[in-house]
Amino acid sequence: MMEVQLSSLDISEVLRYMGCPAHQAGQDLMETVENCAQTLVKVARPRWTYRTFSISLEEEGVRLSTGLLLPSKDLRTHLSGCHQVAVFCATLSPQTDRLIRQAESRDMLQALALDCCATAAVEQVCDQIETFLHGEYPGCYFPFRYSPGYGDLPLSLQGPLLALLDAPRKIGLCASATHILTPRKSVTALIGVSHTPVTDAKRSCLSCPAGEHCQYRKAGGHCGSA
Amino acid sequence: MDLHNLLTSGQPILLDGAMGTMLQAKGLPTGATPELVALEHPQWLLDIHSAYLDAGSQIVYANTFGANREKLAHCGVTVEEVVQAAVSLAKQAAQSRGLVALDIGPIGQLLQPTGTLEFEKAVDIFAQVVRAGVAAGADLAVIETMTDLQEARAALLAVKENSSLPVMVTMTYEATGRTFLGCSPACAALTLEGMGADAIGINCSLGPREMPPLVEELITWTNLPIVLKPNAGLPHPDGSGYDITPEEFAQSLASLAQMGVQIFGGCCGTTPEYIRLLREALCQTQVRPAPRHVPPAVCSATKVVPIDRVRVIGERINPTGKKLMKEALRRGDVDYMLGQALAQVDAGADILDVNVGLPDIDEAEMMVAAVKAIQGVTDAPLQLDSTDPAVLERALRVYCGKAIVNSVNGEDAASDKILPLVKRYGAAVVGLTLNEEGIPQTAQKRVEIARHILDRAMFYGISKQDVYIDCLTLTVSAEPTGAVQTLQALKQVKEELGLKTVLGVSNISFGLPARGLVNQNFLTMAMAAGLDLPILNPNVDAMMAAVRCYHLLTTVDENATDFIAAYGNATVSTSITTTGGNTVPASTSGTRTLEEAVVAGLKTEAAAATRSLLEQREPMDIVNEMLIPALDKVGVDFEQNRVFLPQLIQSAGAAQAAFDVIRQHMATGDQEQVDRGTIVIATVKGDIHDIGKNIVKVLLENYGYTVVDLGRDVDPQKVVEAAQRHHAPLVGLSALMTTTVKNMEETIAQLRQAGLTCKVMVGGAVLTPEYAAQIGADFYAKDAKDSVDIARRVFSDSM
Repeated sequence: MMEVQLSSLDISEVLRYMGCPAHQAGQDLMETVENCAQTLVKVARPRWTYRTFSISLEEEGVRLSTGLLLPSKDLRTHLSGCHQVAVFCATLSPQTDRLIRQAESRDMLQALALDCCATAAVEQVCDQIETFLHGEYPGCYFPFRYSPGYGDLPLSLQGPLLALLDAPRKIGLCASATHILTPRKSVTALIGVSHTPVTDAKRSCLSCPAGEHCQYRKAGGHCGSA
Repeated sequence: MDLHNLLTSGQPILLDGAMGTMLQAKGLPTGATPELVALEHPQWLLDIHSAYLDAGSQIVYANTFGANREKLAHCGVTVEEVVQAAVSLAKQAAQSRGLVALDIGPIGQLLQPTGTLEFEKAVDIFAQVVRAGVAAGADLAVIETMTDLQEARAALLAVKENSSLPVMVTMTYEATGRTFLGCSPACAALTLEGMGADAIGINCSLGPREMPPLVEELITWTNLPIVLKPNAGLPHPDGSGYDITPEEFAQSLASLAQMGVQIFGGCCGTTPEYIRLLREALCQTQVRPAPRHVPPAVCSATKVVPIDRVRVIGERINPTGKKLMKEALRRGDVDYMLGQALAQVDAGADILDVNVGLPDIDEAEMMVAAVKAIQGVTDAPLQLDSTDPAVLERALRVYCGKAIVNSVNGEDAASDKILPLVKRYGAAVVGLTLNEEGIPQTAQKRVEIARHILDRAMFYGISKQDVYIDCLTLTVSAEPTGAVQTLQALKQVKEELGLKTVLGVSNISFGLPARGLVNQNFLTMAMAAGLDLPILNPNVDAMMAAVRCYHLLTTVDENATDFIAAYGNATVSTSITTTGGNTVPASTSGTRTLEEAVVAGLKTEAAAATRSLLEQREPMDIVNEMLIPALDKVGVDFEQNRVFLPQLIQSAGAAQAAFDVIRQHMATGDQEQVDRGTIVIATVKGDIHDIGKNIVKVLLENYGYTVVDLGRDVDPQKVVEAAQRHHAPLVGLSALMTTTVKNMEETIAQLRQAGLTCKVMVGGAVLTPEYAAQIGADFYAKDAKDSVDIARRVFSDSM
């Protein structure tokens, strides 16, 4: 399986996550964020795993070939035309959480910067995985990756999906009793595979779980991940 | 026959191979719960166990790996039913041919601090499995595939407290030699042997080829028999199985008997064929247990500190004589302690002493909170410092690693309570050379007490190398010959008893001018007399310099590597002072005003400007007329999108630096602290996202509010208690997930039920003003700045 390697992070993306337009950041802030990005890349140990399942679209949602039902009409729409789904999960490691915890006791600005660097790093990891998985299915089409919490796909699926991937044993990723992924900087996602072109190829604010509460939309922009 | 007979035979012991691999071959579908097989397909298990026993397994693992109540929660069966059935089937297959192990795997949720599962809850979950295993007649327990040393500890405690079964513990490592959570074989070895495991080792994740360096590390750090149960090599990249043949597996694993490994088996991908060949290979091999000499050491979950040179114990987490620490303890402010912990580690402390004893707080509760929080941010081992056995026991339970207990002395009444705890939890212990009659004047009498303490410790089964003696520093201004006697006693304890020595250094200079000079020179003399573990303030560079120089001059620091790393680029100055744990230059006068420094977010300049202002102005005037207006200006700019969250935090950081100077100033005088009222804040139960809450905290403190921060994942009841105890007019709650907002609602409900009149403000990504009102909150704070405005409103109303 492909090994995920973090490269340098996009500083303006990190600044945007921090709530600051890149052009408004002074030199000292830029330096702080750059240092944090380097530290984060050094400390994080990204791990991931995946499996593919054939799927059937049912009245209440999407059923994986193992029998697990993903009860979501939004996901069913999203995966229409797909015959398979790749389920993956990834984590930046407990060491990343610890790094952020340490910073919170030293310097809140660094803590915020590291936290946002980690968010950017998770995105980067997911992008690499997505590219790899797309390569596994030459000639196929893919709607954008979809995670529990998007639309009406419940967060309570985190545990069952991780169990299906044997994620606790393989990469040390678990879900808490309240369905939070631990370590914290982690993701689970599904990527549909279709033989025919798909409509949901790009993420948009309409399908985003943040919806109208999104800090970027409130400020009149967007997160840039679409 | 039992495990102990097998172990003492000196012969290799053969375990079984994979269970999951065999169940899949039988037809277990992907995603099914393997533990249910005991109830649904008992014949499968009889077949699998029998196949392993036929192949030569002397111990088979019952199919109970995930038979805990968390994993079985949605299966409609009880732990007792599953364990009873699985163990019975294994026993039925084994008859008299082999032993049956109760197999205990991870719970499937991460423990605090990475996850939210509490340690005692984990112990309780495992205890249920253990009791069921005992009732079903298991011959031994195995704890396996652990990646978190704390979870392995919880399981081991559960076995010890609920059975008399022998127990083996194996953890799973990556090729880097660490578990996912960063635990090394050395840390696992020191900790698990200390807590009474009968054998320890490695299972899963790697193949036999990757074992030798890990085995090498294990045998360096434990005297226990070693267990290996690796996978059938490394997994193929395409997931189609594992990369080595049964023949190679058997040969390569059996060859490790030469290193002294005694217990062998297979994990994922192995089958009865692997075990059969392994038995044949082992027939031709002898176990060669080389003599082992585990060095004296302590550890956390991720770091071993061998006592092979002077190791510094940081003394700053202790309220004695420290007004700010006392206030922090009364507020329950663990964060203050974390700052102290990190500053000391940054300054070079190897181990941290933790003392939270104050007459008016619940010391045990606070000790547990402190130990958990400190272990969440630093890997330095801890010295648990209390005179109360109940406090020590609570701390030892929750401490992950091998701790030091500070302390016992020559009085048997107290040490008879504490030494058994030291043994049970596998710690080291400090013995003070005093007894009922006080501190003896002469060195000889102190050595006698040391000898007595050593005898008592060994009587309780504590190994000699885990007893550290403190010959006690007397204040030289009161006892002019005290230093000489202390150093003489130290030397004798070291030479005659062969024990490691501890000494609190700073007391020597009490009542004298230029205390730093006296402390530094006494430290050097003590190290020359054989001191191993000085307890000191590592933030005072002169003390660390003495230790570094000592290592340099005694060739411990070969090639002066550490010395040059510390001082290669330094301008050594004598005008270093410490404030609040941070080493700062004593006087650099800033060129900006306090307001300018806060607006620009410059910490050092804000602190410097405050120091010079304090020479002329009253602290409260500085706060009201300069600090708060400056923060208000930044706040308005933030609201109008002229500055953004990072700049707001930078300004808050600068204001915090100014406040630290003011607090320090007021603490040295006898003035009342700045206090505009108390606010209790928490991230609600089940939620571990707390960065937003922490930003709010900093801002509120900047405005002079006393913030009682309960941390993250906080029980509703704790919020109620804190609001009551501190008479807080305002409570702030944070939640980031839709799944945890219901715990926010529950917390508010409990506050109301308790009849508290406090206002509640809530914030977090998934909340809206409407939602906030719906769950019963008084205020919705859209950001950190908003929370300050709310606080102002609430506190102007309540005055």
